[in-house]
Amino acid sequence: MDLLSFCHWIENTPAGVAIRESPTIFEIVESVHTLGIVFVAGTIFLVDLRLLGLGLRLEPVRDVVQRLVPWTLWGFCVMAFTGTWLFAGEASRIYRSPGLRIKLVLLALAGLNALLFHLTVYRRVAEWVGVPARARMAGWISLVLWTCIIAAGRSIAYGPGYDQ
Amino acid sequence: MRDIFIPIFAGLGGSHIGMAIRESATLIALTQIVHLLGLTIFLGSLLMIDMTLLGIGFRRHPASRVARELAPWTTAGLIVMLVSGPLILSSESLKCFEASFFWIKMCLLAAALAFHFAIHRRVAQSDPPVRPWRQKLVAGLSLGLWFGVAISGKMIGIYGDDLRREPPPFQVRIFMRQPPRLYETAAAALKDGRRGFPALSR
Repeated sequence: MDLLSFCHWIENTPAGVAIRESPTIFEIVESVHTLGIVFVAGTIFLVDLRLLGLGLRLEPVRDVVQRLVPWTLWGFCVMAFTGTWLFAGEASRIYRSPGLRIKLVLLALAGLNALLFHLTVYRRVAEWVGVPARARMAGWISLVLWTCIIAAGRSIAYGPGYDQ
Repeated sequence: MRDIFIPIFAGLGGSHIGMAIRESATLIALTQIVHLLGLTIFLGSLLMIDMTLLGIGFRRHPASRVARELAPWTTAGLIVMLVSGPLILSSESLKCFEASFFWIKMCLLAAALAFHFAIHRRVAQSDPPVRPWRQKLVAGLSLGLWFGVAISGKMIGIYGDDLRREPPPFQVRIFMRQPPRLYETAAAALKDGRRGFPALSR
């Protein structure tokens, strides 16, 4: 199945039809997806700022990560769900959108960065004296990637498939 | 009532910067992206302060310390939004003037800003902490007000200039057309003394 026929299929699922035909459903899903940024990128930024020594300096890195990451993960589930639903409503119209494609690639990179951080340098967090250079690097990469993800996401509405 | 703000809308909309943004899709997108990034930093850090006050954030750490550590980021995010917001307004001042949710957002924003600087900051950074039920009340009000501001901002984009639309959509009927009638009823009730009050409950 190629990309376009996948788009046609997802557009014709009940969820895709519903969000296209009901303004109320669209408003709710769109609002949840936008405000979800606060829970996902907001908590990620705080962890990054802690790693870079720019915020929450008095709290141990481990506490910051343990308290914030559950919010990030639950928030991300909601974002993935609402994001896919929004896509389902207009898949064949926006699947060519550069903003969307860039956003998906950056999301994969951000996920990889977080995974590597947790599997390598963060494993020895108990032995850290200060924040190791590799952890700071992960913080910078995450900060830049998530800024670009938000920018790419917003730019979808200004790309092909939209009048504005 | 809206008319007294016309000079602001005309001034911003007619300014060079407003016209420059309006003519470039890139600049329009850029102001919105910056506004969203400000929101992420502001509400992200505020969320953590309020969660801690509610007892579901940093449980083992004093809320006052977390609040003080995050205060610079809350302020930074707020400044970014208070700069990019008027820029967005200047690029679409006509639409905003006719958008019910723009006015709802501004009312909520005024309330949220006053609450934030007059009450929230003091309570959150208070050492020794205020009583738990007060912390929770302030945190709940703070989140309610700011998410209200954010949601009504999103609604400006969704509903656009709905104030002139016929028939008026539900949010116009509820928020914009009802208040004068409610006000008249309330005024009549006050004038008539107690006899007028049943009119209010109708």
